[in-house]
Amino acid sequence: MIGKATLLLIVGFSLIFLVVSKNFGDVSNRAVDNFVDYYTQTVAHDIAISGANIAANNIFLDPTWNSGYDDVPFQGGYLDAQLQILDPFKNIREVTVQGTYYGSTSTVKVKFAPSKFSKFAYYSVSEGGTIWWTQSDTVWGPFHTQDYFRAHKHPVFFGKATTKKSLIYYTSEAADKPLFLGGYDQGIDLPLPTNAVAEMEAIADDDGLKFSGHDTVYITFAGDSLRYRYKYNTPDSSLYLPTAAPNGLIFAKNCIVRLKGTVKGQYTLGCSSGSSLAKGTVYLDNDIVFQTDPRIDPSSDDLLGICAENSVLITDNIPNRSDINIHASIYCEKGGFGAQKYDTRPISGNINLLGGIIQHTRKAVGTFGSSGIKSGFAKRYKYDDRLMVASPPFFPGTGGFEIVSWYE
Amino acid sequence: MGFSTMLDIIGSIIIGGILMMITWRLSDAATAKTYNNSGELSLQQNLATVAQILEHDFRKIGYCSDWTKFPDPSKAILYADTSEILYVTDLDLDDNMDSIRYYLGPASELSGTPNPRDKVLYRVENNEIPKPSNLGVTRFNLVYFDASGDVIPSPVALPGLIASMEINVSVESVAAYDTAYSSAFWRQIRLVARNLRNR
Repeated sequence: MIGKATLLLIVGFSLIFLVVSKNFGDVSNRAVDNFVDYYTQTVAHDIAISGANIAANNIFLDPTWNSGYDDVPFQGGYLDAQLQILDPFKNIREVTVQGTYYGSTSTVKVKFAPSKFSKFAYYSVSEGGTIWWTQSDTVWGPFHTQDYFRAHKHPVFFGKATTKKSLIYYTSEAADKPLFLGGYDQGIDLPLPTNAVAEMEAIADDDGLKFSGHDTVYITFAGDSLRYRYKYNTPDSSLYLPTAAPNGLIFAKNCIVRLKGTVKGQYTLGCSSGSSLAKGTVYLDNDIVFQTDPRIDPSSDDLLGICAENSVLITDNIPNRSDINIHASIYCEKGGFGAQKYDTRPISGNINLLGGIIQHTRKAVGTFGSSGIKSGFAKRYKYDDRLMVASPPFFPGTGGFEIVSWYE
Repeated sequence: MGFSTMLDIIGSIIIGGILMMITWRLSDAATAKTYNNSGELSLQQNLATVAQILEHDFRKIGYCSDWTKFPDPSKAILYADTSEILYVTDLDLDDNMDSIRYYLGPASELSGTPNPRDKVLYRVENNEIPKPSNLGVTRFNLVYFDASGDVIPSPVALPGLIASMEINVSVESVAAYDTAYSSAFWRQIRLVARNLRNR
């Protein structure tokens, strides 16, 4: 009797313990499953991210890369990448990368667009000596320099700022660190092309407007027309731009351009030098502005690129003695943007620039003393936000792509 | 009834009592363990869910399926504080930017749960009614870093300075046996929303 009861007790308790321990085990397993699931999803995602970075790197190294990846073993899983051209005309590409790890998959989609120099609010190859970005300097769009990035008392950069070299503080990081509101990277090598302006000639020959065989061309934009002459005191001739330059490119070969006027539409003016230092310079004789100011009417589609093989200079003349208004993205392949006789001309007010400056070497627009401006201009540069997504026709490109959208 | 019988009865009572005590202790321990283990399972599920939701949403900061409509993603974060963030992203991939706001409610909102520390984590899309999630979150802490990797004091005066962020989430079981609350902690050391660094 006692033996039977003992047996029953032992069997009963064993059953209870078995059930309880199985339940405990199940709970523990499910808890572990949670984290295993999270881990596999995280690894799959990491594989997809890595694949996207590898594909992006391939595109940066070779813009024609389109082979993608197929079941490439990576980090214990697999990655697949496919490249698709979304817009052949604008050359917009998308890479779709899928990471797979133990049944979990994750997808990353990255869009690339050709990178144009016109997107920069400020670009320079050389800062023209030891020039510091100071407390009073604010750059409203993307910034890049191939030179050292010298900061003094917290200059402000609203767009992404990059430099090929490094950041140098005037005294210390605490006293001088810039405010990077759009991020900052260094070690970015983005050289300026050496013959982008000269190459515009073929495009102008194709469906644009070309001036050649003259030392100087006086060009005045007048809405959708363009007036021009070759001598200072001769009457202007006029052209209707939509038919004279259907592709939007106006090219002045191996000469000097003297420019002013009001622009309607989207145009780029190229001015080559033919390896003469005296040529390939655009002088701004007076205001050059959009017919519709995008700050007043955001639907404005007026755009202007001024691309000089040498420099773009503000003429020392009477109209420019009291402010100058410039609406354009300015590109100086071998020189820079500055003011003619910046150190001897009278105090001339402000340079009200709406656009961007892309130059080889930073140039001066005036001189300053402890009491303020001694000669030339004060700078009032405002970035034209539309340049983030649009560029004047045939504006020089970087030759590569940039990431414009990242979905994960 | 002889002495032997009395001894048998007393012995049986003692042994039975011991067995009952064991059974009672077993039952109590099993209940506690079951309660706590189940609580921990829920806790871990809650934590994994919170982590996945936050990662899913935060990675999309500044994303727009038509990039030309939001060309400067560095403007995507509109407000950033230690336990609150407001940013824009294209949630439904319709080329239109939507706003997302995350914030943690006060502990007093969840006075109905035995845990005195748990709070509601709210997610708000555009101007919709805040969607509460009672997942036992006791801490939702965000730390922001600038492009140099330095911590930006919160609330962040210039959200454009934010280049990356650290997310800290603590979750506790909303109820526990004998108030022995389980807790779990998740930290995303550096979450870089890639679109913030585009262009």
